[in-house]
Amino acid sequence: MAEASKVIKITLQSKNLQCKNLHDYLKTLPTEILDRLYNHPTTCLAVYRELPEIAQHYVIRILFVEQPVPQAVVASWVSQAYSKEHNEVAQVLSSLRVWQEAAIPGGLPGWIMNSAFKRNMKIALLGGGKPWSMSSQLETDSKPRDIPYLDSYAMERWECVLHYMVGSQQQEGISADAVRILLHAGLMKRDEDDGSPVITREGFQFLLLDTPSQVWYFILQYLDTVESRGLDLVDCLTFLFQLSFSTMGKDYSTEGMSDGLLVFLQHLREFGLVYQRKRKAGRFYPTRLALNIASGQSRSQLDMNREGYIVVETNYRVYAYTDSNLQVALLGLFCELMYRFPNLAVGILTRDSVRQALKSGITAEQIVGFLRLHAHHRMVAVGPPVLPPTVVDQIKLWENERNRFTFSEGILYSQFLSQADFEVLRDHAQDLGVLTWQNPQRRTMVVTRSGHEEVKRFWKRYSKGAG
Amino acid sequence: MNEEVEASLLVIVLDTNPGQRLVRERTHILTQCLESVIAFANSHLMLKSTNKLAVLACHTRSTEFLFPPPSACGTQVAMLRQQDGQYELFTHVEKTIRQNLQQLVIRDARSGPIGSVCESLLAGALAMALCYIHRLEQELSAGRKMNSRILVVTGSADSASQYMSYMNVFFTAQKQNVTLDVCSLDRDMGLLQQGCDITGGLYLRIPQLQGLLQYLLWVFLPEPTIRKQLVLPPPVKVDYRAACFCHRELIDIGYVCSVCLSIFCKFSPICTTCHTVFKTPGPLPTKSKKKKIKLS
Amino acid sequence: MCVYSGVMAEEDEGKEYRWETGYEKTWEAIQEDDEGLLEGSVAEIIQRAKRKRQAERHGNTRLGMMRHLYVVVDNSDCMSNQDLKPTRQLCTIKLLEGFIDEFFDQNPISQIGIIITRNKRAEKISELAGNPRKHIKAVQQLTQVACSGEPSLQNALELALRSLRMLPSHASREVLIVMGSLTTCDPGDICVTMQNLKAQSVRCSVISLAAEVHVCHKLCRETGGLFGVILDDCHFRDQLFQHIDPPPAATLLDSSLIKMGFPHHMMHEGKETPLTLCMCHVDSSDVEGSRLNSGGYFCPQCCSKYCELPVECKSCGLTLVSAPHLARSYHHLFPVENFKELEFKDMQDKIELCFACQKRFGEHDKHVYECGTCSNIFCLDCDLFIHDLLHTCPGCATNHSTFQTVGNETMPPR
Repeated sequence: MAEASKVIKITLQSKNLQCKNLHDYLKTLPTEILDRLYNHPTTCLAVYRELPEIAQHYVIRILFVEQPVPQAVVASWVSQAYSKEHNEVAQVLSSLRVWQEAAIPGGLPGWIMNSAFKRNMKIALLGGGKPWSMSSQLETDSKPRDIPYLDSYAMERWECVLHYMVGSQQQEGISADAVRILLHAGLMKRDEDDGSPVITREGFQFLLLDTPSQVWYFILQYLDTVESRGLDLVDCLTFLFQLSFSTMGKDYSTEGMSDGLLVFLQHLREFGLVYQRKRKAGRFYPTRLALNIASGQSRSQLDMNREGYIVVETNYRVYAYTDSNLQVALLGLFCELMYRFPNLAVGILTRDSVRQALKSGITAEQIVGFLRLHAHHRMVAVGPPVLPPTVVDQIKLWENERNRFTFSEGILYSQFLSQADFEVLRDHAQDLGVLTWQNPQRRTMVVTRSGHEEVKRFWKRYSKGAG
Repeated sequence: MNEEVEASLLVIVLDTNPGQRLVRERTHILTQCLESVIAFANSHLMLKSTNKLAVLACHTRSTEFLFPPPSACGTQVAMLRQQDGQYELFTHVEKTIRQNLQQLVIRDARSGPIGSVCESLLAGALAMALCYIHRLEQELSAGRKMNSRILVVTGSADSASQYMSYMNVFFTAQKQNVTLDVCSLDRDMGLLQQGCDITGGLYLRIPQLQGLLQYLLWVFLPEPTIRKQLVLPPPVKVDYRAACFCHRELIDIGYVCSVCLSIFCKFSPICTTCHTVFKTPGPLPTKSKKKKIKLS
Repeated sequence: MCVYSGVMAEEDEGKEYRWETGYEKTWEAIQEDDEGLLEGSVAEIIQRAKRKRQAERHGNTRLGMMRHLYVVVDNSDCMSNQDLKPTRQLCTIKLLEGFIDEFFDQNPISQIGIIITRNKRAEKISELAGNPRKHIKAVQQLTQVACSGEPSLQNALELALRSLRMLPSHASREVLIVMGSLTTCDPGDICVTMQNLKAQSVRCSVISLAAEVHVCHKLCRETGGLFGVILDDCHFRDQLFQHIDPPPAATLLDSSLIKMGFPHHMMHEGKETPLTLCMCHVDSSDVEGSRLNSGGYFCPQCCSKYCELPVECKSCGLTLVSAPHLARSYHHLFPVENFKELEFKDMQDKIELCFACQKRFGEHDKHVYECGTCSNIFCLDCDLFIHDLLHTCPGCATNHSTFQTVGNETMPPR
């Protein structure tokens, strides 16, 4: 008899865009880089801000303690019901090398705080040490830029990048460097025919993120390429964190910055994270994009510098009060656009339009998230829920519709020589609970992959006995 | 993305009255307190970028906001250049508080010495803090939340003369979901203790002044939302017994004026607060019914 | 059986008919704002009304502080009307829940009872008591009760009167009626009932959800209560919540000294105290409430244990309260004086910031408000906040020369 086994293998996990937060990113760095980073107060501040709340209190409590603290003592700070949280927090602090295990005289296990981290936290909080590198004295700017100007500048620059990605008309070209980063990040890929960059499914997902998450994702990808450009990662990160703790509407000096950092600054300028009047101006203004950069997603709700503009009605109509082509183009990803007025675009969510979006790799959650994020303030005021639940549910149902197949790997057994053979093997597989499917007429059956070995062994034994 | 980002507002009411016993004995104590409070305030700002801060000084003649400076003077941060490695926002906080306190003290000294040693009007300062919190909460945009709390750092003693203001403030705070924490540097304060109990805040009388910053950081830095996870000093059982208006003694059973709710330990024919004339005691509730019918 | 219907000619209320008397030209008061919206001006009208009510409040008038209030809820057929959303009944229930909470917050030593009327009958669904949770539960259960038949005003009033009659002479007695129906079906002459109520100095107020009805209006006028017809749900809330402030004491109300107990919280440090059941939960059937615990408040007269205050001792009848409960009512007796309204234009040069909240005055502030005692200037929001909630002027309370006001010679803590 011929035992044909065929492996059916279909992978259908849709690849979702993974956006690391600051801690996840830092954990990927080698320890010596981490230690070097902690030599700057700004990094310590940034890391501290992102710690879980309990961890923040642990750090502040042992900040002024010079010797190791017994682990049992630290554990006793948390009430018993929350010991699980304590263990998680201790794990986070260790993995970030904020504290290390240390033996206490007497053999008890203890924690001791990373000395560089401790020193620089104190500097950030209480003062001392050297001023940050960009805080040199400056003459007063003759033409200071105010906050609204910086905001509009930053948005304009950033939207330039997004425009390039959607390929909409009113684009200014972006530099080859930026394109390279987009390609590196997998947000765009070279078209197989003419080599021009086209957007990927990750790219679509990226477009629907909120701006701070986009910036953070983009910067992470940029940092990956930093070393290959001959820049120092630690310098760049430190500078980035300094920016993230700077003040809006205030100018900072480029004095004393290394050539590498000046190049880095020019890149940031291109994406709108800093504003410089001229390349050699000697001063720059950080913009809102750079502030609190490391907080990533959680930041989006805090300083929503843009008004929400989308109204979604229960009849699936979507009204977008905007004149930006980009925003209309983004809506066009999952809406069927109906009318366009100078300050208003009207679209409708249909099964087809949403399925189109789902096909291009966008998930229902991302669509809903996008609509919620940009909901008009009138909708927010009426909510929660901000969006009509019927619409949200329907979008999710449309997604589920596409997932009607569940795929499980299996081995096909066929071409049995007799019905008896087939039945013996089928019954055995059934007893084992590994039978997925059978067809007695055509004498074929499918067993699960994990059951395959067992069934095969049985078959060998059986056919030997029979033969 | 549904996780709510909540801002957290901390209003610190600092008692700077030079009439406090501690300050009269050793003047530098006020400086030490100020240092600790500033470091504590900055620690609060360090926790989250959304955290907000306000500091009020309760002084001899007046109560004033030390931080934030009035809204139009936002340019100060821009003028400020770093002197050392401190986060410039923290430097800004520290400088503003010191500067404003200095001006307050000078202005106070100019307007002549105040006659006798006088109490700190903390209840008024708390009322101002509540108004400030109320405004910020109104200004929040839709869909945002803010947790607010007040911390009082004081070395004064309780003052019965402010009883009513205190009570009004406590009940308002309770209603507005504002937690009231009290850090007493000197004596136990029964009234403020009641306030903490009513609003669900913490009360701590610190045993030694040297460790002020550590006490503040350990006990008062955690937000009310996370306090249940941490082991903190247990709430003290507060004595809510009333004191009679006539002898100011704590009583178990007393007589209350039905018109103005003044409390007396013995029966008296006239209420001393509202001058109502009372009927003689005696008629039990059920008996008074007959009299009623006669009247009508 | 006599049925009073909606509109009746009025003989004793002056020469004009109601619809001829001073018509409020509400549409003239409404003005569009810059964006052509009306909301702003409606809000202004409401605020104006609030300020007006505040202005009517005077300090040191005799108020009935120990209130005994029966809320009569119409549960007749017409409460299923949908002119309030979702229905009159559900809207009323929702508002009543808030009302009860707020009532006990402001009047901690007062009591409420709830009566419903339908099918020409009246039924007491919750006895006069001081526990808000119990009443709220009773009100919530009303959602299960079908609206049917006609209401009976007289039956409801008689029922309320029967238990209000038993109260001591110093207690203030009130009935608040939420009336959806335009008719009432009564067994006898309601005028007799009115006279009885008047004799017992029971203050009756009516909130009508439909229209003005002569008998209701007369009831209110006779007994010194308030009568109101609602415009919409917001106005309903407003009408309902104005009953939270204690009314002026009735002339017949005796003043007397009431014996009260101030129990202290028992928690013996270090000592093992036996677990005991408190009196409030001893006969309750629900499991979650009846808990054994060691702490509690003990009646100083008979040593019964209670788990919360205020409460009337079940065994010896002593009212048990804690000092803050009394203090919570003080602000009714010593309200903050009204602030003077000033044109901001005249003050522009002198003043920049609101004294209390540090708000910078700007274009939007048409008026600023000055405290007559401490002469500090406040913004509109603070003015409302201070008078509605805080009941303490921050300006006066931070100034040594002004913070001593009436009633402040109260008590020292220890």
